[in-house]
Amino acid sequence: MTAVPARSSERVRPVTSREPASAIIEIDRVSQVFQTSARKDHIALSDISLTIEEGAFVSILGPSGCGKSTLLYIVGGFVSPTSGAARMKGQAITGPGPDRGPVFQEFALFPWKTVLGNVMYGPRQQGVRSTEAEAQSRALIEMVGLKGYENFYPKELSGGMKQRVALARTLAYHPEVLLMDEPFGALDAHTRTRLQNDLLNIWERDRKTVLFVTHSVDEAVFLSDKVVMMSKSPGRIREVIDIDLPRPRRRSELLLDPRYQKYVVDIERMFDESDEAGFAL
Amino acid sequence: MARFLSPNVLLGIAPIALVIALWQGLVSFGFAPAVLLPPPGFVLSRLLQQLASWTFQQEIAATLIRLFAGFAIAVVLGVSIGIAAAASPTINAVVRPIVRVLAPLPKVALYPALLLLLGFGHGSKITLVTADALFPILLSTYYGASTVEQKLIWSAMAAGTPRYEILFKVVLPAAMPSILTGCRIGLVISCIVVFLAEMITSTDGLGHALVTAARTFQAVDMFVPLITIALLGLILNALLGALRSYLLRGFPEA
Repeated sequence: MTAVPARSSERVRPVTSREPASAIIEIDRVSQVFQTSARKDHIALSDISLTIEEGAFVSILGPSGCGKSTLLYIVGGFVSPTSGAARMKGQAITGPGPDRGPVFQEFALFPWKTVLGNVMYGPRQQGVRSTEAEAQSRALIEMVGLKGYENFYPKELSGGMKQRVALARTLAYHPEVLLMDEPFGALDAHTRTRLQNDLLNIWERDRKTVLFVTHSVDEAVFLSDKVVMMSKSPGRIREVIDIDLPRPRRRSELLLDPRYQKYVVDIERMFDESDEAGFAL
Repeated sequence: MARFLSPNVLLGIAPIALVIALWQGLVSFGFAPAVLLPPPGFVLSRLLQQLASWTFQQEIAATLIRLFAGFAIAVVLGVSIGIAAAASPTINAVVRPIVRVLAPLPKVALYPALLLLLGFGHGSKITLVTADALFPILLSTYYGASTVEQKLIWSAMAAGTPRYEILFKVVLPAAMPSILTGCRIGLVISCIVVFLAEMITSTDGLGHALVTAARTFQAVDMFVPLITIALLGLILNALLGALRSYLLRGFPEA
C-alpha cells in the first residue's frame, strides 16, 4: 500500500460549497417489522431518523440484533422499510443502484469469475468498453494491494484478500456512497487492523461518503467522523457521537491519544449501562 | 500421465478386474456352460471385431443419437423450467404440482403409449429418455437456483444489473454446481432408459441387438451390446466430468 500524501490535519473536509455540509442520505422515521411465523411481530427498527452528510465517514454501532444491518440494506435499496423512507440526494430510494455500493461481511464475490472478472463486472454493466474497464480494474486491484492476483479465483485467496477484491469491485463503478456491512467481521485481528488502515488510506484520497456497520467500538471510533449508537429490541438510535480526532489517523498515534481512549471508554460505558438496564427489566 | 495411474485409479480398476476374474472363474470351473456364458476373452475379441463392422456401428449410432437428443432436450427443458420456477412464484405454483405427480411415475409405463403415438423410430425413444432424465435435472436446477446467496444478487444489482439479467448473469452461473450434478444423474438415467426402450420394442440400436441375440441363443453377441453401453456410459460420464471441472474451476467444491 503506497503512502498517502498527508493532508493538513483538518478534522473534516472544509465545506466550500454553497450549502454547508449538504446531506446526501436522509433516513426519515424508518421502521422495519418482520413477521415471525408463530409469535408476534419482531420490530427490527423503530422510528429511525438520521441524516448523513456528504463525504462523512459514519459508523452504525450496536449489539447484534439491533437492526443495524437492516438499516444499511434499506439505504442500499435491498429491503423496503415497513414505514418511513430513505432518500439519496432528495430522491426516494426504491431499489439498489450504482450510486450506493455495498461491501458485505461475506464478501459475496462471484465464484465463477477471477479477481479481474469480479472487479470488471461493475464497469462492464455500466457500459464501459472492455479494454477501458480492464485498465481501470487493474489499477484498482493494484491500489488494494493485489497486483499479481488478477487471474486468481476467489477460492484461492485468503479472507482479507477476498475483502480487498470486494472493495475494489465496488469502487470500480464509482458509487457516491459506500455501504459497508461489518466488512472486517469475518477476519482475524491482524488482517482486520491492516484492512482498517488501508481502508482509511483509500478513503483519504477521495473521501466518499461511507456508512459503516460494525459491532466493534474500537473500529468505529478509529474510522469515523460520527458514530451512531444503536440499542436493540426494538432497534433505536441511542446516541450520535461526533468523533473529533485529527486526520489522517494513524493507529499507533491514536491508541496513545487520550481523546481516542476517552471516546472508546465512554461508548463502552454507555453500552454497559444499557445492558444493565436490560437485565433489570 | 502419472495422474491416470494414481492409487485411486488402481483401486477403481481392482473391483472391475475382480468381476471379470469371477466371470472367467464361473466358466473355467464348469459352473456355467461356455455356450450360455461365454468367457470374457471371447466376448472381448467379438467386441473388437464388431466395433469394426459397419452394421454394429449403425446400432451404436442409433443408440447414441437417441441418447444425446433425449438428454439434450432434458437439459434444456430441465434447466429453463427449474430456473423459471425458482425465479417466479407464479411459475413455481404451476410447475410444482405437476412435477410432484409426474416425478415418481415410472416413465417406462408411458412407452407403449409413446410407441402408438410416435412409432417405432427415434421419436418414441427420445421422448422416453427426455421424460426420465428431465426430473433430476429440473429438481437440482430448482434447488440450486433457489439457494443462490442473496448477497451475490444484491452485489450484481448494486452494480447496475437489471432484474431480468440477474437470471443469466448471477442465478444461472451460481446454480451451475447443482445443475451439473443433476445432469450427471440425468446422463446415467439416459443410458439406462435408451437401452431399455430399445430392448422392449425397436428395430435397431444396442438394446435391440441384445434382445435379438438372446432370442437366437447367440450368447456372445448378447454380451457385446451390454459391454458397449457400459463403455459408452463410462466415456460420456468422463466427458461430462471434464466439462464439469472446466465450468466449475472457480467453485470451492469442484
